[in-house]
Amino acid sequence: MNKKLLCIILSLLLLLVGCARKEQKVPLEDIGMVGTMAFDYIDDKQMKLTVAIPQYSPEAQKNTQIFSVATDLVSNGIVEIEKLSDKKIVFNQLRVVLVNEEFARKGQVRKVIQHLYRNAEVGNKVLIAIAKDNAETILKGDYPDKPNINFYINDLLEPSINTAFNPNTNVHDFIYTISNPVIDTILPYIEKLDDKLEIKGVAIFKGSHMHELIKPEEALIIQALQGRKNLAPLHLDLHEGHGEEKLMIDLIESTVNIQSNKDIESPKITINLNIKGTLSEYKGAREYELKTAESISHLEKDVNKQLKEDITKFLDKLKTMDVDPSGLSEKFRMYYHGKWTTKKTRELIRKLNTEVHVKTSIISTGTLK
Amino acid sequence: MSTAKLKVLNRYHVIFLAQSIMIGTGILSLPQKMSSMGYTQWLVPIIFGITATLTLWPMVWLCSKYPTEHLFRINEILLGKIIGKAINLFFVLQFIVFSAGIISNYMHLIQSTALPEQTITLPVICLLLLLIYIVSGGIKSIARFCMMTFFITIPMVYFTRWAIEKGEFSHLLPLFNFNAKQFFDAFKDGYLSILGYELIMIYFPYIMDQKKAFRHSLIGIWISIFLCFFTTVVSVIYYSEWQLKNVEFSVLNLFKAGEFTFVERIDIIGITLWVFLILSSVTAYVWCAKIGIDSVFKKKKIYILYLIAAIIFVIVKMPFSREVQEKLFAASNYIGYMLIIWPVILMLVYAVRKKKVEQ
Repeated sequence: MNKKLLCIILSLLLLLVGCARKEQKVPLEDIGMVGTMAFDYIDDKQMKLTVAIPQYSPEAQKNTQIFSVATDLVSNGIVEIEKLSDKKIVFNQLRVVLVNEEFARKGQVRKVIQHLYRNAEVGNKVLIAIAKDNAETILKGDYPDKPNINFYINDLLEPSINTAFNPNTNVHDFIYTISNPVIDTILPYIEKLDDKLEIKGVAIFKGSHMHELIKPEEALIIQALQGRKNLAPLHLDLHEGHGEEKLMIDLIESTVNIQSNKDIESPKITINLNIKGTLSEYKGAREYELKTAESISHLEKDVNKQLKEDITKFLDKLKTMDVDPSGLSEKFRMYYHGKWTTKKTRELIRKLNTEVHVKTSIISTGTLK
Repeated sequence: MSTAKLKVLNRYHVIFLAQSIMIGTGILSLPQKMSSMGYTQWLVPIIFGITATLTLWPMVWLCSKYPTEHLFRINEILLGKIIGKAINLFFVLQFIVFSAGIISNYMHLIQSTALPEQTITLPVICLLLLLIYIVSGGIKSIARFCMMTFFITIPMVYFTRWAIEKGEFSHLLPLFNFNAKQFFDAFKDGYLSILGYELIMIYFPYIMDQKKAFRHSLIGIWISIFLCFFTTVVSVIYYSEWQLKNVEFSVLNLFKAGEFTFVERIDIIGITLWVFLILSSVTAYVWCAKIGIDSVFKKKKIYILYLIAAIIFVIVKMPFSREVQEKLFAASNYIGYMLIIWPVILMLVYAVRKKKVEQ
């Protein structure tokens, strides 16, 4: 008897759930999930915030909604955008944040990204990039052969072996590097060309300001020194007494060993870089000689020399800029008793002596003899 | 009550009671609490472990003098009825406020990360109902729950994989560049995270093999210490010093580094699984509070448990400002520290009044 009653009550309860007051929650179709955000510089107080929201309604002409407002605070801007849009704006699907160059050079990026880092809705894998000129036009641009600007930018910045020079910095990396005195932040730098986007180089920060733009090849060196295992294909121009030679080494595995002398008064650092890869293409005088092991090892030596020269040159360049994007001063901080400051890093980099050893091994030259 | 009926905890129960009560919300923000020491903080959990081992000994020693009595009775025996009861009441209050603190902390976390648009009233009620259910099963049901908790939540360690891959191991080099004050701050704030083993003074009479209770409890403590140690090491290699200082729930941010293709927010999984850890520590404290009330008023009534739950609910949903709440919880933390050294005081009393109390 009792069991029967219980059953009836339970099934009644189950059915009555449908009569419950509708929960005050926004249904999914009324949520605008921001995929890409862009910040543009207006003046010291104001910035222009642009968001791209995928539009899934089949009736809509365009598949992305784009809103732009001028605002002083990020969250204030979001409220403004909610007024324009018919949806509630959430950040759960945020993938990319674009910042225009001027905004980065004036040094307000940290504030904005920190706001996102604090926000629990935003994942740590949101990628950040610097846009040349205007970030808003990149979002508003027309890319006829691409499905959607959100996917396009995200795929472009996502790590892949051919764009491995691109540091694909995400929110965590950005906050980590910008708050860490031993390392300077690097961000990919993209430019809009007609109906395409291109990663033009890498922006190096000094403190919280963007300082300089460097070439992708140079960014490759930074990554090799940071200890990245797989690197992008390496393109080299050799000038070692065989006329002009061009070669491309593919599928590179690199290991790096950096030793410091632990002395911050006269800092000296020894870099041992081992790279291993396939010679995928060669153009130059030695083209028909590269068949014996001996000639390959000769080529390896030339590559070593060239790479060593390139790296040393690049490190000297960093020295004149006073920045340390590959975190070389960590090798000194780890032995230093006391508080390490950014000032120490700058001084150290200015005085730093470097010694580079490169060891290349070309493991194969392809399947063709 | 006969002692045979009382003794319900086997050695695994003892190990996991000690282990699971220690891991509450504390470990979530442990790296931040110890951030005054910078990168060197990873050494501190080991010091915690040693401290815990040293302070566990007087507890077990004291209890082994009275193998069938718990702390509340021991207080009464050693300090006399009136003082003993007053102090017991004080401890009961501490247990209740402390458990309210843990729940409130967890709810704050839930609200700021997983459910930003909801009020926490309903989740708190659900949690308390579960709590009543587990506690009314007695210490054995709590112990079993603790065992289950351990095995359900331990796979979360895997989520730190990505953070380890990305981390900079050179942060770990021990530089000892901190001063005494920084160390003291880290110790004071961090030790809170490993509180919980002191409850052995209350469930000691329920342990079957009391001679080995010290050893078993120690195993539990060192499992927890190892987890704390692991957490801090991973945090230290993954974060910069600024982040260690400013990221409140650093462990969840470690989970955020995860890169599953099919799950976007691993931290949400972490938070939801964490409810087990919260429950396992809170249930033990609430059970102890209940035992305390029972012994103070010499009555065993089931409604006391509901009363405790109601008090916790009021404290968590208190209409005071957050500041008052924080102060209350901070005060309960200091009393928690007092509880750690309390057995030493009792030992002295025991030595002085030995003859008299043994009559």
